[in-house]
Amino acid sequence: MKERNRGDYGSMLRRAFISKGVDMAEKLEVEEKPASEDKTGSMYKWEEGMDWNPVERIILERRSVRKYRDKQVPEALIRRLLEMARFAPSAGNSQSWRFIVIRDKKTIESMEKYAQLRAKFFMFWLNWRTSPLGRLAWLYSQIGIRVLRNDLHPIPHGALAAMAEGTLKLFQGAPTVILILEDRRGAAKPELDCGICGQNIVLAAHSLGLGTCWVGLVELLKYGIKWRRKLKISYPYRLVEGIAVGYPVGNPDGMVERELHEIEWYENSQWKTVL
Amino acid sequence: MAYLTLKERLLIPTYDNPKYARSGQVVIDMEKCNGCGNCAMICPGGALYIAGIGKDKKAHLMEDDFPNCMSCNDCAAMCPRDAVKVSQTYDFGRFYKILHRGGLSAPRKF
Ligand SMILES: Cc1cc2nc3c(=O)[nH]c(=O)nc-3n(C[C@H](O)[C@H](O)[C@H](O)COP(=O)(O)O)c2cc1C
Ligand code: SF4
Ligand code: SF4
Repeated sequence: MKERNRGDYGSMLRRAFISKGVDMAEKLEVEEKPASEDKTGSMYKWEEGMDWNPVERIILERRSVRKYRDKQVPEALIRRLLEMARFAPSAGNSQSWRFIVIRDKKTIESMEKYAQLRAKFFMFWLNWRTSPLGRLAWLYSQIGIRVLRNDLHPIPHGALAAMAEGTLKLFQGAPTVILILEDRRGAAKPELDCGICGQNIVLAAHSLGLGTCWVGLVELLKYGIKWRRKLKISYPYRLVEGIAVGYPVGNPDGMVERELHEIEWYENSQWKTVL
Repeated sequence: MAYLTLKERLLIPTYDNPKYARSGQVVIDMEKCNGCGNCAMICPGGALYIAGIGKDKKAHLMEDDFPNCMSCNDCAAMCPRDAVKVSQTYDFGRFYKILHRGGLSAPRKF
């Protein structure tokens, strides 16, 4: 039988074994790449109850930062963070993300101003506690919540109200903002890929002494044609999230308490719930 | 086991009725707190305020407006004196009923 081009000896053998239903791994002597001592994977060996390793500590101590110092972050450091994003896993390796970095104080401020204006607009129609429309706003809100059940979940609803009042700022005065856009043609779930690459940025940033905050409320910018034009957002890209980056005021990072989540666990033909 | 009934699925909570939607709650240790204002400065919900003068300057949790505290515990992480901590997480009813959750816990070392 004539082998095709890529049919080296290994793949011929593999095919032969597969056809005979033999477990390859057992029969083939796989040449293993020697474990290198300097890779984190072999640096920390798990033992039950052991202390956190540095990676775990960064994950657990990361807190969203909402007060930044005026000092700008060096360009190279932001480039380094973006490098982390490039190596995030993505469905089908489709890397369906695009980044926009804004480091201009005036632009960031005018984005914040626009977001506040938009929040005020939405709250006029939807916030029955403050709107001059009163009960009518309550009715609109009930309809709106049913349509936009995630965007108008009680917490973002409250955040919009706070933003309209001016107590919550879009980027909390961060000197650098990274906007994440999804390529809508990406494999499977491009929005999820954006979340994963963003978290790479965030974790790396905290390991380097920076503070970050995810900003889902950048959603508000989408309503402005001006911003879509200015940020050069057009098909196939869609603005998904923003990440505020800067040097934090004080020491906001630290481990905290959070809720446990029930986990269903199937093993030995039995279900159990673990917390 | 916790689940969402059809009725709950159909009914949207009224956000300002504490029966259906309750903000997170924090406890402030008045002995430890010195009113430095760190927590109020970073609280995303604007749920904390500083009141009092001199020795009585302390952080307090807003009681009226909903929703404010989202039980993120960022104030706890920020506080230099370990004086503030979430005591109760936000709790919604009806459509936004919280399902399959346990109590608060610090990271556990397995
Ligand atoms: C997708 C996403 C969007 C978010 N949007 C905002 C936002 O618009 N404004 C804000 O202050 N925080 C925002 N956050 C931060 C969350 O409020 C925060 O992660 C949560 O309260 C948990 O607190 P921690 O990050 O300190 O652990 C967002 C977080 C995520 C993951
Ligand atoms: S940060 Fe701590 S000490 Fe400072 S006001 Fe808040 S609770 Fe009090
Ligand atoms: S838990 Fe979060 S939202 Fe609640 S008071 Fe503390 S910082 Fe504010």
